[in-house]
Formats: sequence, structure tokens, C-alpha cells
Amino acid sequence: MSDAASPPEAKSSPEPRSGSQAKPALTRRAFFKGAGVVAAGGVIGEAVSAANARAYGPATLEGTVEVELDINGAKQKVTLEPRTTLLNALRNHCNPPLTGTKLVCDRGSCGACTVHLDGRPVYSCMTLAVDTVGHKVKTIEGLSPRGELTVLQQKFCEHDGSQCGFCTPGFVMAITACLERNPAASLDEIQNACSGNLCRCGTQPQIFEAALAAGRALQAKGGK
Amino acid sequence: MALEPLRTQDEKPPRPAAPGKKWIRVTKAVNGIDTEVWEEVSDDTGGPQWGPREQMRLVSRAVPRVDGPDKVTGRAMYSSDMRLPGMVFARVLRSRVPCGTVQLELEAAKAIPGVLAVIALNNGNVDWLGRPIAAVAATTPEIAEDGLRAIVAQYEEQPFAVTPEQAAAENAPKVGSRGNVRTLSKNTDSSEVDDALAKAAKRVQGTWKIPVQHHACLESHGVVVDYRGGDEATVYASTQGTFTIPGDAAGALGLKPNQVTAVVEHMGGGFGSKFQLGIEGDAACRLAKLLARPVHLMLDRATEFHAAGNRSGGEHTLEAGLDEKGQIVAIKGRVTRLGGVGQGSGHPIPYIYGRDAKVFVEDRCIHTHTDSSRAMRGPGHPQASFSMEGLMDECAYASGLDLLEIRRINLPDSRRELYMRQLERCAALIGWDKHAFKNAPDLSKSELKVGIGFAIARWGGGGNGQCKVEVRVAQDGSVEVLSGTQDLGTGTRTYCASIVAEELGLELNQVRPRIGRSTFGSANASGGSTTAPSLSPSVKHAAHNARLALFEKVAPLLGVKPDELEVGLGEIHVAAKPSQKVAWKDACATLGPAGLSAQGEWQAHLASSDVGGAQAAKVQVDTRTGEIKVLEMVAVQNCGLLLNRMSVKSQLQGGMVQALSYGLFEERVIDPDLGLFLNANFEDYKIAGVREIPRMTVEFEDDPRGVIGMAEAAVIPGHSAIANAIRNACGVRIFDMPLTADKVLVGLEALRKKG
Ligand code: FES
Ligand code: FES
Repeated sequence: MSDAASPPEAKSSPEPRSGSQAKPALTRRAFFKGAGVVAAGGVIGEAVSAANARAYGPATLEGTVEVELDINGAKQKVTLEPRTTLLNALRNHCNPPLTGTKLVCDRGSCGACTVHLDGRPVYSCMTLAVDTVGHKVKTIEGLSPRGELTVLQQKFCEHDGSQCGFCTPGFVMAITACLERNPAASLDEIQNACSGNLCRCGTQPQIFEAALAAGRALQAKGGK
Repeated sequence: MALEPLRTQDEKPPRPAAPGKKWIRVTKAVNGIDTEVWEEVSDDTGGPQWGPREQMRLVSRAVPRVDGPDKVTGRAMYSSDMRLPGMVFARVLRSRVPCGTVQLELEAAKAIPGVLAVIALNNGNVDWLGRPIAAVAATTPEIAEDGLRAIVAQYEEQPFAVTPEQAAAENAPKVGSRGNVRTLSKNTDSSEVDDALAKAAKRVQGTWKIPVQHHACLESHGVVVDYRGGDEATVYASTQGTFTIPGDAAGALGLKPNQVTAVVEHMGGGFGSKFQLGIEGDAACRLAKLLARPVHLMLDRATEFHAAGNRSGGEHTLEAGLDEKGQIVAIKGRVTRLGGVGQGSGHPIPYIYGRDAKVFVEDRCIHTHTDSSRAMRGPGHPQASFSMEGLMDECAYASGLDLLEIRRINLPDSRRELYMRQLERCAALIGWDKHAFKNAPDLSKSELKVGIGFAIARWGGGGNGQCKVEVRVAQDGSVEVLSGTQDLGTGTRTYCASIVAEELGLELNQVRPRIGRSTFGSANASGGSTTAPSLSPSVKHAAHNARLALFEKVAPLLGVKPDELEVGLGEIHVAAKPSQKVAWKDACATLGPAGLSAQGEWQAHLASSDVGGAQAAKVQVDTRTGEIKVLEMVAVQNCGLLLNRMSVKSQLQGGMVQALSYGLFEERVIDPDLGLFLNANFEDYKIAGVREIPRMTVEFEDDPRGVIGMAEAAVIPGHSAIANAIRNACGVRIFDMPLTADKVLVGLEALRKKG
């Protein structure tokens, strides 16, 4: 983000993987152009202004807004700048801070920040927090709220699916969504589900084993 | 990093060991790890023993890591996850130019609401691309980034050299004051080798090019400094060395080292790049000092690529002279390593093979206006492996010899048996016997072709005596093991607990490991695969001492002498009569309210050194598109006593994935004219993803020796085996990584022209 040495990005950024089709056509980068204290002197992109001034109120592109987020089954009011990503909202604005979701690339290329939006995996670094109002966000902390591990989490432990573990929450969220759709997912489908996730420690073989083992266990339990 | 050229190739210790001593090969930590040396250590074999492996319950078994549940639930606290009252977020501004001076106008940034501090980070001279020049602290990271954008940086740009070609050109802009191209080797007389080459039956040569690779740790470099005024601070650092932090941080905070505590609960990857406080940590401390508030400063991804180290690239021009039997009689080489403003890891050429040949190698370093390279997993060895293993296969094809046979002939006597056993096992695992192209590449016209390649690795992996460990047993029977060491994801925390649990007859979950805090016992930084062989003997010693102390207490209860006792599962009993026993809880109840504390130090006889491994790769090449697909990788590795079969296997496979990624994808690209780093992000700097992972098989050899570090060895041969497999598959030798489809096509075209 603080790529101060290079010019602002001209091209439009990729959308989150899924889950925000119902939202106005508002990408994070486009929003940035009009948000931000310094950049506020610039022209607010027309696409942004028309559709979203209505959605979020006219006075919200500078300063902060209070929004109610629905995170892990609980509503929480947070005060943040409209440009704040869901990732930074979770990590820096929620109380208590939800730091299980990791920031690695901050631009949609590593998957470490994967959360579920209405049950579908999205990159939280490519999703604006304000865009999730009215939608359900689930983070890694929400998978096992009382501390007991999900089947997939258990299998990650049994198959050593973490080394440094920094990529682990993202993989767990991506594969959880995959197995929720289809507990009988093949290796190919599992790889497809986490093809946007990077692991520098090279733990992928164990992650595949864990995912397949979890799928088998879930099927034995009838898919739950 | 001021480092001397490597002397890692000394196969033998300098002299026979003195009575009561033995030699081990150790990596010496010098600001990151670059040098392996022989060290003479005590061979006292008294004291604690690992004991027979077949009787072990936890150590040497496959044990799920104890912090797995924390990692899979997001509860594991990494340094970047620390959130403290009043904490502010900081970001750094990078220099846009590789070389020049910069004047900073900071007022506009300071005026932004929410920006709390803006500081310049150096005196305005810039000598490498991306050097952090200013830092901003603000109430949110978004506002800190506004602050960066509001800093007016006026550059006076000077001519720069960001590529080795630029740096080596005549009248090139100077990088530093030592000369852009420096010859580090002393020997300048190649006449003996020239003679031997002239007389050789065959000569084989090539120039291999090695790109600059990035560590690409997922957690970037940085710290959270908890300083709120006063005379104490805590630094949560993403580091490979807990104890490398307090001294530097104290300097920046104006405190004494013992007033600063470093904490490393979990860290998200280092691979050799994370030692000491660094520019970013220093900036965070200065901001914390200024504001008397906790400061969170983690590098953003682009800055991480620019300013957090890299694996030195280079170029190896090698020529080998062979006799009629395929034995290498002479090797002449010129090794150029890239170090940026630093010197680069030495690339130990010749690598393993060719020990009996006459050797002349010119070792040079080229400096560029880019950040200093740092140690990276197996420093120097993956580079050396790439050219040497390529050279071996070229020698085989030139002589019409089987790819295994050429290795057998040219391995040093002292290692032939080990490596041939491992290579033959790899060959069996990967289906070499059914492979048709053992001594010549497949030059047929078929479209999809499959090749096999081999490569080997060695590493010292010895330990050293820096670790002090404490085991505490409380009156209620609970047990803790404490060490300041850090867990990089290697499973350190887990073996600390399992060694103690094994020694005291407890279950793994009855021992609580507490690590990653500089107030605990000292420990070495994790580099050069030195952690396990340094730490585990100290843990064993502390546990052993705790057991003996407990026996002293329990013996009177059972009416025997302490040395008549032994531990069973959850109990202490008389060795000769196990029914005469005290349950663990009751034994601990004899301790006073203070419980028991036992200390442990390094035990040389519980560690060993020198690991070897072989790997093979099976690759499919599509000759229509050039597409390279790695189908399978196999590895056979020795590594002494395996502390935890599960985590060691993960590390070995992880190394293979990293090597595959190095071979196929990774390359830093800097525009030579603009001086811009073109791929400082994960879209354009590609690392292996889930779709690129081949079928993998790893095996460990039974190895009666003590604990040895092996993580470096894992990453050394994979890319070399893949390059060799491509050549075997289709005849194309790719001399420069990454190994890409376009290079296959160019090579195929060249082969067609040659007929
Ligand atoms: S941090 Fe969101 S995809 Fe990398
Ligand atoms: S376990 Fe370290 S990045 Fe995946």
C-alpha cells in the first residue's frame, strides 16, 4: 500500500473472489481515489459518487463513519474511515481485535486474509468494511468460538498443516468453505479452492492431506 | 555483513581431535549465517543420554505440534498481531532512486490529522534502491500511508548500477568505496589446472546464471515496540533471534539492554532474513521513544521486497576436464556472486563432487545499488548445487555414462557410500530402472516427454553451547520448560516439551513449553540449522537434572538410594522392583512450595553434525509449448536423531517446495534504465502455489548419531534435480533460472538447427 515510489495504480483491481456480486460497482482502489485525507482534494470518481453517495450517505468519504458489522454472529459498531478494508477493520477496529486473519500482501494475491462473507470466501483486504454492512462476516475466530476445533482444524493439527502458521487461517477458511459446499471434494477441487493461497514454508502437501482427511470425516458424519 | 569467503569445503577437520574432544561442523552466526567451520568440542559422553530409540515414546516419533491448535484457530499471536493500549501504526518511505541524495520536507505530512510523528531515517544519502528514508506514525495505518504520500522528497539522482552488467561496465557508477567488482579468492595461478585441462580426454563447460531470489516470508519484517516512557520496554519482534533484539533496541530507545525484553511468541517465516533489529525496527524504536507510545511497524509488501534481503544471485562459469573413465581431473571456474551493497554468500564451488580434481576457482563479488543480500536457507549451497549438478550431468552425457555412475565416480571417497546409497534409493522411488534415458537425453520427436534428474546436498548442522534451559516442577506436579529460543515453525516448542515429558515419564500435554522471551535462558539465533542441535541437548540436560533432583526427594519415601530409581509413565519406581512406586503427583508433593528448578546446558555428545541428502525429480516437458510440469519429487535424507518425525518431514518437504519455486518461478527484476524494481509484489514475483506441488515422497535413513540440524539440506538440491530432469527429458540444458517454457522452446529450436 505505501508504495510511495510508484505512481498510483491505473488499472482496475481484481474483485474479491466472490460474495459481493450484489454490491454496487465499487472497487477498493476506485474508492481510494476519492477517499483518504490527502487524496480528498482530487476528484471523486463518478462511478463512486453516484451509486455510493446514495448507499453510504453523502458526507462519508472523508473522516470516519460508524457502521454496524456482523462478525461471527454478533453485531458490532465500529468507527472507521470508509476506505478501511474489512481486513484492517477486523485487525485494528474491532474489539477485541480479530488478528487471526492475516495481512500479507494487502492486494489480493496471497489469500492470507480470507474470510467468509455470507458463507463465501473473500479476500478481506480487497473488501471494504463498509461494503459488508448487512452481510454476515465469519473469520477464523468464528469457526470454533468455544475453543473446540472443527473437523478440518483437527485434521490440520494431525497432518501438520502448519509450519510457521502464518498462512494457516487463510487456508483453513478457504478449504472450510469448499468442504461446506461439498464434503466429498476431490483433491482437484480442494486445490482449486485454495489456489489463491500462498504458503512460503511449503506446507501444501500436508494441507492437502488434512483437507482430504477432513472431507472423509465429514462425509462419515453425514456432511456436518 | 562483512563476511570472509567460505571455507565450507574442508572435508576434514584441521587436525585429529585432542583426547576427550571431537570435531563437529557448525555454522557460525555472523549477522545471519554464512560460514560453516569445524569446531572442537568435548566428547564427554557421561550425563544424560538419548537412550535406545525403540524405547522412546515421544522423541523420534511423529508428534503433532503443540501449538497446532493455536495456529489453526488464529489464536497464535504473531508479533504483527500485538495490539496494545495507545498503540500507533507506522510505515516507512522508500527511496525512489538507487543512488543519490534526498532532501525531505516533512511538514505537510506532520500536519495531517492523525499523523503523530514523522522522522527522517538517514542523513539524506542513498546508496541502494528502496532504502527506507523516512517513517511516519499515525493513529491508523491508512493515515500513516497518507503521511508517506505527503512527504515531499526531492532527489538529486546520481548515475546508478542496479544490474551486474551495469556495475561491471567500464566507467560504471561506483557502488561503495571498495570497487564494484572485487576478487575475493587469493590464488591467481591457474597454470596447474590449465595443464590438467589441456591433457584431459574430454572437456565440458558452461556458464550458469542464478537470479536473485527473495525470502518472501509471509509475515513481513517488523516489530511492535511497547514503550510508554520510563525505563522499560518490550519489543515484539518477527525475528529468528530473540537475543539479537534487546541490545539494538536499547540503543535506539536510549535504554540499557537489560531494560528491554524481546518477545517472539510466533513468527511468520524468516528463512535467514530476520536477524537483528534492522532499519525498520530501529525506526519503530525511535518513534516509540519520541511518542512514548507503543508503535507497530511492519514493512508493507513492496518494501519487504526492496529492503528486507535476498538470496545472492550470481554466475558460475565452469569447465571440467575428464579422463577416459569419466573422472573429473580438473575444474576451472569463475564464480561471481551478487551481494547488492553487501558481499553475498559464498557459493562453494566445487560442490561435493570433484574432490580429487585439480581445482582453480576465482571467487568474485559484484556490488550493485540494491539492498544487501542476506543469508537464505543453506546460504550459497543451492546456487553451487545448480551449476555443479548441471555440470555432472553434462559430464555424464559427454562420456556416455549413466547419471548415477558419473556421480559414483566423482564423489569423494569419504562420502561415496552415503550418497550412492541415497541416490540409489531415490532412483528406486522414482522409477529410474524403467527409465529409458539413463546416459543420454531423450532426443526423440514425441510431444510429451518425461525426464529424471538427481542432485545431492550436504550441510554441517552442528550445535553450539549458547543455550541455557530451565525445567520447573511445581508442587502440584505441573512442569514447565523455559528457554528464550524462538520457534520459526520448525517445531521447537514441541520438542522442548516432548524431550522433558519423555525424561520425566509424562504425557506431552503435561509439560508446558515457554519460549520466545529474552528474560528466559539464553539461546542462539535460528540460522544454519543450528537450533535443534544446540537447544535439544540443553533441554535434555535440564530435564535430566530435574529428574535426578526429584529422585533425591523421592528415594527416602521408598527407602532406596536415588540411583536405584527410574521413571515409568506417570510414576517413579524402583528399577529392580517396579511395583514399589510413587505416583508423579505424590512425588512432586514432596517438593516445597517453591517447587524445583533445574538448569541445563549444552551437551556436545547429544548432538552431532554433517547431514547428507539426495533428491530426484521427474519432469514432463511439452515440446509444443515448452511447458514444464514437475510430476514427482523424492528425497532421502539422514539427520541423526529425529526429534519429531512429523515436523522434520514437513521441513524437508517444505524445502523441496521452496527449491521447486526457486527453480521454476522466482527472479527479482529491476529495470536497468529506470532503476525500478518491477516485480515487488506477489503477482509479478511468483512463488509456487498449490497447483504446482508435485507428488512428493520423503524418507529418512536410520541414523544412530545425535541431533543434527537438517533444514538447510532440504532446500539445496531440488531445483538442480529439476533442471537436470528437463535436460534429460528433451535435451535442452537451461543454464539460467528460472526454468521457463520460453527457454525450453528456444533450446529446442537450437537443437533442431544443430540437427
Ligand atoms: S492479504 Fe489479502 S490476499 Fe494477501
Ligand atoms: S506455514 Fe508458513 S507460510 Fe504456510
